[in-house]
Amino acid sequence: MRLTRRQMLALAGAIALPAPARAAGLRVATVDWAVLETLLALGVVPVAATELLQFHEVAVEPAVPASVTDLGLRGTVNFELLRLTRPDLIFSSSFYVSSEPRMRLIAPVESFAIYARGQPPFDAAVRMTRSIGQRLGLAEAAERYIAETEAEFAGLRERLKSHDGRAVIPINLGDPRHFRVFGADSMFGEVLSRLNLANAWTEATSYSAMAPVGLEALARVPEAWIVMIPPVPPDAERILARSAFWNALPNVRAGRVLRLGSINPYGALPAARRFARLLVEAFGHAGTKPLG
Amino acid sequence: MPERSLLASAPAMPRAALGWAGLALLAAVLALAVALTRPPLPGDPAVTQALEQILLWQSLVPRAVTALLAGAALGLSGALLQQVLRNPIADPSTLGIASGAQLALTIATAYAPVLIAFSREAVALTGGLAAVGIILGLSWRRGLDPITVVLSGMVISLIAAALSATVILAKGEYVLSLFIWGAGSLNQQSWDAVIALAPRLALGFAAALLLLRPLGLLGLDDRSARSLGLALHGARLLVIAVAVWLAATVTAEIGVIGFVGLAAPALARIAGARTPRQILLAAPVIGAIILSLTDSAVQLLGSGTADLAPTGAATALLGGPLLLWLLPRVRMVHRAQAGLPPSAPHRVRRPLTAAIWLAGLAVLLVIVALTLGRGPDGWEIATGAVFSDLLPFRGPRIVAAGMAGAMLGAAGTLMQRLTGNPLAGPEVLGVSAGGGVGLAVTLFLVPVLNPLYLVLGIALGSLAVLLVMLALAARSGFGPERLLLAGIAMGALCMALISTVLAQGDLRAYVLLVWMSGSTNRVGEIEAWTGVIAAAVLIAPLFLFWRWLDILPLGAGSSRSLGLGLTRSRLTLATFGALLTGFASFLIGPLSLIGLIAPHLARLTGFARGNHQLLAAVLIGGATMILADWLSRIAAFPYQVPVGLFAALIGGPYLIWLLSRGDTDG
Repeated sequence: MRLTRRQMLALAGAIALPAPARAAGLRVATVDWAVLETLLALGVVPVAATELLQFHEVAVEPAVPASVTDLGLRGTVNFELLRLTRPDLIFSSSFYVSSEPRMRLIAPVESFAIYARGQPPFDAAVRMTRSIGQRLGLAEAAERYIAETEAEFAGLRERLKSHDGRAVIPINLGDPRHFRVFGADSMFGEVLSRLNLANAWTEATSYSAMAPVGLEALARVPEAWIVMIPPVPPDAERILARSAFWNALPNVRAGRVLRLGSINPYGALPAARRFARLLVEAFGHAGTKPLG
Repeated sequence: MPERSLLASAPAMPRAALGWAGLALLAAVLALAVALTRPPLPGDPAVTQALEQILLWQSLVPRAVTALLAGAALGLSGALLQQVLRNPIADPSTLGIASGAQLALTIATAYAPVLIAFSREAVALTGGLAAVGIILGLSWRRGLDPITVVLSGMVISLIAAALSATVILAKGEYVLSLFIWGAGSLNQQSWDAVIALAPRLALGFAAALLLLRPLGLLGLDDRSARSLGLALHGARLLVIAVAVWLAATVTAEIGVIGFVGLAAPALARIAGARTPRQILLAAPVIGAIILSLTDSAVQLLGSGTADLAPTGAATALLGGPLLLWLLPRVRMVHRAQAGLPPSAPHRVRRPLTAAIWLAGLAVLLVIVALTLGRGPDGWEIATGAVFSDLLPFRGPRIVAAGMAGAMLGAAGTLMQRLTGNPLAGPEVLGVSAGGGVGLAVTLFLVPVLNPLYLVLGIALGSLAVLLVMLALAARSGFGPERLLLAGIAMGALCMALISTVLAQGDLRAYVLLVWMSGSTNRVGEIEAWTGVIAAAVLIAPLFLFWRWLDILPLGAGSSRSLGLGLTRSRLTLATFGALLTGFASFLIGPLSLIGLIAPHLARLTGFARGNHQLLAAVLIGGATMILADWLSRIAAFPYQVPVGLFAALIGGPYLIWLLSRGDTDG
């Protein structure tokens, strides 16, 4: 494997500083899902993380080993339990700024901000992956994962060469009448631009998404591929199937509706890769059988 | 237009009818403006032309019709409830129908989606009926006394709101749909809502007309009605069932639309409607006009693709101030004055000794909360090293919960003495919700989540609401009923502002939601010390005001004749009340009922004098919150239940029980 200049620097850094090298055996805990999936992707099993039942349903991958202690809801982390799992290091995120003093009582805290106002999340996720790798003495694994991500995107771009050039509108149905839409500043939006696809939603969004938007707004993007991100409300499919409006949409009539598997909209690189992979796979299927 | 013909059939109010006809015309013009000002669709004209037609006939027109029908259904529902319960402040939201339906839908969406797929309406109806059933069951023994009914409704609503927030937090990914639903949005892409609403409205209206004669009799008091040979309870229950059905259908189809059910009959009475027949005819028309106007406004003021705010939030924004302005003009005719909750059966002979017992109980609770808990291996009593390990986590939250409870107890006592209204409290008067608006505004203005700014925002919001309520009370000499109505209006107004922020579904919404659920989990040393200092600084001086506390409830006349500077004393106490509420709700959220309950319990235990009631309420409030905090920590370990929810679950039923047994005691 050829090393880039940046990777060399990272490696040099890892060797020069003794602390991260020893850190490989650290007991790591995290309260943030984006960190959790990054850790697992780098082969690190944390001692504790939050809301694991929901993580399995929403983020789906990577799988969480049974040894990880569930710290309860992301909104109300069980600090007593976190204390009892005796971590050496806690990874946190900008959602938990107000809880950081509490976590510092337990172990040193390192915090990341992937989702902040006016900041593109993809590059921030790359930086976070790199920092975690360096902190845990896994700089090489981190660089390898980042390179793999780039390679996967390159491969997917290649597969999209035959794509019709239409824009994509990533939405999440809230109920049969409303959706939230993911704009250019969302992880989905960033993945689209890395796949050389246009986002059909050009209005501004804040903190990644805009909600609630009435379903009738879809009439403004008749050419776009409608990409539905789960969860889909239980009665939505049934109601849409017999909706005159829905069935009159040019996208729906032409079968330009894709249903993807569940993806965490506020994830890191693993979630970005999952979205890209599922999207390109769905495009592949859409060519063979009609949808809508 | 159907509105005209209906208005024409009520000749008793020509001038007001003319005004409403004008408003109906305005509603029609605005609806037309919405259709005409939509930005044109992009793309190939051949495709867009067909699409424009679909958009017009499957989205815009059904939406306009849905607004009219839903408004009419809510107006009718409110009119029926107000008539049958002889209660001018009864409506689908004050009776907890909307909250009950919302909670049922929230739980079904999160845990049993099959039910939603089966029938949204059935789920909503079940929730609405359950709420009303509980409320009527509880107030039955007090003869469905209006105040008891509305108070029970509010308690049920608060518990349901806290439960809903808990479920949403537990099921993060469903947040979006629940928010939209909670805020009540009228976007349509089919005639489904119209098809669902129209026949139900027609049936409800027919049933209402059939029940007109019994309804007129229900306006009399029970004894006279019974002597006329009416099967009183049967007729009542039938009318209530129709009203709940209408409200639950609207809730299932478009979500919570606040205020229309409360405002429409009130406005009908102001317009001159006197008889049940006139009110039943006018209220649906007025409801339809209000909702249509509001819905057109949010569309016209929006971006063309998205509305300015959810319509349900906007009705409360428009309806709240309207109702506050109209309140002094509401005539509460031919209604027996509602009975107040029972006074203490006896006085405590040695208040200080009793207070020491209460303090001892609080200390005992602290010891239990500090040591007893659950760990990975089950129940544990923390001692030695484990104890000192866990102390930094358990200590601050216990202190914060206790201090918040104490402050709410004090704030409630102040407000009840200040307004001479035994039902006043931070939650009832909308003061806590005002704190939420302050928090929401702060979140938008300040980019960094600095706790100090958040406290200030909550305190300022609380103070603003409390001052408005006091001004209203002072200007018109509000009786308890009107102040309660104003408080509910204010609370709904504030909650509407909050749900607009929640509907954005971003980080700020998340902060607000965590605050609303009232979790002490994030409390650290800083917050705990904030609580201790605030409690000490704000509660201690209150005992110097003992004379004011004793005199003010006697009313303005007696207070002035006893040489009390009325404005100064009121303003001072109000400021203290607002600051206490602000700090407390910063720590434990707005939903606990402690501020209402603690002073009651103090009074019912026999602490009658101002000073004694204050001391006892502080102790009872603190102890209850410590208990609630402990329960919230252990109930669903390792998942934590918000403490505000537990406080409401402990306090709410107890208060209702006290109210419902009151008639036998006093």
